[in-house]
Amino acid sequence: MTESLLDAPPQQALVLEAVSKTFPGMRALDDVSFAIHRGSFHALLGGNGSGKSTLIKILAGVYQGDPGGTIRARGESVDPQATTPAWSRRAGIRFVHQDLGVFGAMSVAENLFSGHPYPRTRIGAVGWRSMQAEAARVLARHDIDVDPRRSMADLRPAEQTLVAIARCLMDADEGGVELLVLDEPTARLPPTEVEELLAALDRYVAGGLSILYVSHRLSEVVEHADTITVLRDGRHVTTRPADGLTRAELATLIVGSRSQIAAKRATRTIGSDVVLRVEGLRSGPVHDVDLTLHAGEIVGLAGLVGSGRTHLVETIFGVHRPREGRVSLRGRPLRPGSVAAATDAGLAYVPEDRAAHSAFRSLGLDMNLSAADLHRYRRGWLRRPPELADAQADIARFAIRTPGVRAPFAQLSGGNQQKAVLARWLRRSPVALLLDEPTQGVDIGARAEIYAQIEEAVDRGTAVLLVTSDLDELLHLSDRVAVISRGRIVDEATGDRITRDWVGSRMFDAHQEES
Amino acid sequence: MTTTQAGPVADAPQASPPAQARRRGLGGRLLDQLERFGLVVLLIAVALFFTFLPATSAVFPTSANLRNVAANESILVVVALAALVPLVAERFDLSVGATVGLAAIVTGKLLTSGAAPTLVAILAGVLVGALVGLVNGIVIAHYNASSLVITLGMATLLQGVGSYLTGDTTLLGMPQSLLDFGNLQWLGIPRPVWLFVLLALAIAFVLGMTVFGRRLLAIGSNEAAARLVGMPVSRTVLLAFVVSGALAGVAGILVLARTGGASAGVGAGYTLPAVAAIFLGSTTIRPGRFTVAGTLVGVFFVAISVNGLTLAGAQDWVDPVFNGGAVVLAVAAAAILAKRRLGSAR
Repeated sequence: MTESLLDAPPQQALVLEAVSKTFPGMRALDDVSFAIHRGSFHALLGGNGSGKSTLIKILAGVYQGDPGGTIRARGESVDPQATTPAWSRRAGIRFVHQDLGVFGAMSVAENLFSGHPYPRTRIGAVGWRSMQAEAARVLARHDIDVDPRRSMADLRPAEQTLVAIARCLMDADEGGVELLVLDEPTARLPPTEVEELLAALDRYVAGGLSILYVSHRLSEVVEHADTITVLRDGRHVTTRPADGLTRAELATLIVGSRSQIAAKRATRTIGSDVVLRVEGLRSGPVHDVDLTLHAGEIVGLAGLVGSGRTHLVETIFGVHRPREGRVSLRGRPLRPGSVAAATDAGLAYVPEDRAAHSAFRSLGLDMNLSAADLHRYRRGWLRRPPELADAQADIARFAIRTPGVRAPFAQLSGGNQQKAVLARWLRRSPVALLLDEPTQGVDIGARAEIYAQIEEAVDRGTAVLLVTSDLDELLHLSDRVAVISRGRIVDEATGDRITRDWVGSRMFDAHQEES
Repeated sequence: MTTTQAGPVADAPQASPPAQARRRGLGGRLLDQLERFGLVVLLIAVALFFTFLPATSAVFPTSANLRNVAANESILVVVALAALVPLVAERFDLSVGATVGLAAIVTGKLLTSGAAPTLVAILAGVLVGALVGLVNGIVIAHYNASSLVITLGMATLLQGVGSYLTGDTTLLGMPQSLLDFGNLQWLGIPRPVWLFVLLALAIAFVLGMTVFGRRLLAIGSNEAAARLVGMPVSRTVLLAFVVSGALAGVAGILVLARTGGASAGVGAGYTLPAVAAIFLGSTTIRPGRFTVAGTLVGVFFVAISVNGLTLAGAQDWVDPVFNGGAVVLAVAAAAILAKRRLGSAR
């Protein structure tokens, strides 16, 4: 393309050119360019970690992009490194997140006016009456059939979403709303209300509004969007009309067909004995899950964020007490809802959110490494010399780069922290190891080392349940893959049946089948 | 602006925490050392200042004065140790002062009424403290209630109970053996000082060298992570409050031994200085951590300063102003240091 997108006529609500974003150790967005037309229902698609959220955060001014490139909205061009929330508002971009940010205990009218100055009476009190009237006008303008005096919490989810949207669209000042960004607006809706919301959105678009619609639900996208943009691994895959696209084609675009990482590791002989058995588990969003892990086997658990995958793993580990069903390790049922029982029996868990759930940032590396097996050093009292010696040994064995064995954990890089968290469990030679996004936010080098550690443990007989959004990682490590969607295991495959297409189609198709 | 903030978008890549800006070079290391020993140096400087200040040089550096300060502060040291144990696990115990009072009153009553021999009465006081801690611990650990509010409520409740037990009288007439313990010396050092040194060593050992202590540290650092490695968080927190209560009980006995009596409201004044000392201490030696050594430095920094100022002729208002100011400054300093060390997210 010789002609720059910037020279295009101003019928575009937003133009992105060469937008990149680099985090320490990873490139979340790589040279992304596309445009959103005025009055378009534009879907933004991509798997977890594709860069969608990063892009949206740059548009919101929460993140700043790398220098270079351009973002243009309403005739004003900015460098992506200079986006701010104030710029975003000035550019007429508004956001409705999955978490609507509404106030359940307040009335619809108060919710509409949250973020706007309340009308005042002459003596300075809140002008409740003019507020009700104005709220009623706003609701009528957007075809929302709701009494402004009702409490927000009493509204159906679709109505709440529409009120949240109307609140954004009230900004007639500063030149009105140019682009409305909706992040998974149907994810929390019951199936019966999805169409209601989408029909309303169609009406708004027909009225001239531009919508950037982020969703995993391909059927909604195929039926309602006029344009789609697909991101994968931070790169722009395509921007094209949605006409004529099938769900299967979309799924392939999202997961890609190339296999970038080195071929799957050699197939191993897997023990025949079941070490972890999950039977009829029901807990939170998880329904009727049966799952088995054999000694020396890696089972990948594929599923979208929100599919219940993390909840399933947490329930197995005893974080939640299941409503029904049971978990047994080596044939012995685990006491439900007890992490201590699970760890004592030889279960290990590396959670997804390291900062919140596994790192003792103010304690030393040595104490982080020994946190899961303190009793090993208790002979009357805690024996520091063997504890420190073991920490030294782990630092060497797991190639943890640290200023010192007692260095505060916060001083280690993310990748080294993650290696240490893994080492914390592997030093116990767990019977089964549950991994939730074990390499998220970890650089390539540390990632390879983490893979090597996992495989070494597996060779010694540990069974692994691996939750990951990274398809390459899933395909690379898994001997068997189970796909979870809406809290149920919907399919399982081994060997050559595990392909990107299969995982992608099962993950996404299953997702919409029930919607 | 309510809609432009980024909500929790689940699949955002997580940036690694910012690489720690570890201060390098000689200047940086010097700064580190200054941070570590700043308060210790300040304590020595204050002591030297009053040693040479004409108005105080006659009295301040005498061994009699220093012994007196140490013996007087022995109560506060024990109370601070009591508050320290749960604070390591990020739980406040604001009922320590009131527990001191109740233990003193219970033991005092048993002793003055002759209902129990000295040793039994002392044991009863410590037990009452432990019992208060047990109640605090059960409510806070098992119902995950705010320690701040629960122990504040408990403090008020205990003061009421203390008033009921004493009426308007002051309990006087403690046995001579107890008074001797409070006011005589062994090897030239006041006996209460021996006691607090012993208790400080014991608590330092418990925090640093036992599984219980390590669990407290882990819970204080990241409670969710502590749960997820299988630590019994509730049981540990509960035990911390029992230890706290028992130590406050011991401090109550010390009050009787030092002052020879107890009345309603005794002990209440110890809570804030104790917390002040702990937070002051968290800025030193191992910055960012609540430690026994730091707490001792904290107690004596305030004590020496106030003692010197009093000898120099300052009025009664110095003590509360100094203590209150110390809390505010120390907590602010601790927060700033922690932020610099760990980044904004803990």
